Amino acid sequence: MQALKILVVDDDQVTRSLLKKRLSKLDYEIETADSGVEAIRIISHQYFDVVLTDLMMPGGVDGIAVLETAKENNIKTEVILITAHGSIDNAIMAMKKGATDYLQKPINLDELILRLSKIQNLKHLIKNASDLRVAMDVTEQASGETIQNLEITVAELEERITSMRSILNRQEIAPEKRIGMALAC
Amino acid sequence: MSFTTTGNLSPSISDQAAPSAAKLNFNAFAGIKKSIKVTPEEIKLLSQYIYTISGIHIEPSKAYLLETRLGKLLEKENCQSYSEFYYKAKSDASKMLEKQIVDAITTNETLFFRDANPFELLKYKIIPEVVDKRSASALPGMPIPIRIWSAACSTGQEIFSIAIVLKELLSPLSRYNIKLIGSDISDAAIKQASYGTYNKFEIERGLPRDRLLRYFSALGENWKINDELRSMATFRKFNLMGSFNGIGKFDIVFCRNVAIYFKLEDRIKVFEKIADSLENDGYLVIGATESLTGVCPRFIPKRHLKSIFYQLK
Repeated sequence: MQALKILVVDDDQVTRSLLKKRLSKLDYEIETADSGVEAIRIISHQYFDVVLTDLMMPGGVDGIAVLETAKENNIKTEVILITAHGSIDNAIMAMKKGATDYLQKPINLDELILRLSKIQNLKHLIKNASDLRVAMDVTEQASGETIQNLEITVAELEERITSMRSILNRQEIAPEKRIGMALAC
Repeated sequence: MSFTTTGNLSPSISDQAAPSAAKLNFNAFAGIKKSIKVTPEEIKLLSQYIYTISGIHIEPSKAYLLETRLGKLLEKENCQSYSEFYYKAKSDASKMLEKQIVDAITTNETLFFRDANPFELLKYKIIPEVVDKRSASALPGMPIPIRIWSAACSTGQEIFSIAIVLKELLSPLSRYNIKLIGSDISDAAIKQASYGTYNKFEIERGLPRDRLLRYFSALGENWKINDELRSMATFRKFNLMGSFNGIGKFDIVFCRNVAIYFKLEDRIKVFEKIADSLENDGYLVIGATESLTGVCPRFIPKRHLKSIFYQLK
């Protein structure tokens, strides 16, 4: 199972390093951005499984903008927003815009880790389902070709047999002649 | 940002013990309840019942299918056995439970542009021929009529894929009188098809991004088909085992991957009725792995590129 690739976006340097340190220990691939602007720049040329971003950030580009950009770049990217304690309304607005989840500050690391694990399991399941579908499509295509060939062949054979039958039934023609004509079908 | 005086953690992160279960809003490790099993007699009972209400034929060996598909519904109805569940469904005058059973038992596996080939067939062969023929016989100045039926349309992806092909091929659409009919036995599937709304998993399957952005608009986490395409289609509940009276005649019928759930004798009846519902020069498209050999002698298969379609002899 491939490790999740996570982008941590927070203007607070201590938060960034702590999250990077703790999450890297769990074998997640972590990159960081110190502002919304930098996050958008990084997202535009790299895919991330998860973007973990602070909602309120200085610099004109906030968590919502990061969320929208991430989703635009790849529908599969899951975005978790970190909101200030008590600002549920913002969090709910973010969820409506497509955020996967939100966490309130102070971030509980155990909770974050459990949420990421859940996302990882979900992605694993989705990959399994997707692989199954690919296998099914391949099988369906192959058997489809075989069946179609048989279908056309059977139709042609049926036509020939019908022609042969009608010729063999033509009483006005001599039997030996009938056989010759039928075989020519 | 101020720092706490205890420890060296920033106040934005804490390493406290995991909060109570109430705060964690997911139950990844929910207790595994003992699930109710179905007995051989109950399989017979339920299979017969399901056949009666939908025509779907479930082999006795497919007990797991009944449990997987109906298990949740059984729990919701607080039944202690599949017999109890069966009698509850049969005695329900409102038929609500019957409808839910149909919704649960039908395979709603569908995606946009399934197999790809039939849609190429539509674009390069069938639609151009239908347009030629219908415009030749249409009254001058009147819009050219085209009627297409997706029998067993499930949640609508097939119909909307057809609509997209028509939109891209025939412009302006106002020159044509296009009627797309989508029917299915499942109320829930028809309901979703009517909304024309799909979640991110459904929308990802079969739809390239440019078509997604051109024909759908985002609605929160979901995507909704544009009004112009939505208005081309009407959806209705329809049981292929029943009478086809009043359904009219069609230029094109798509009946893909539904007959496989019927017994052979029922398949024969269904395609016989479809043959009656097709214009004399109409086209029938079935599933890539399906065959009409020994099923309906009124149809003759024809090949075009990588696809097969059928026309009346």
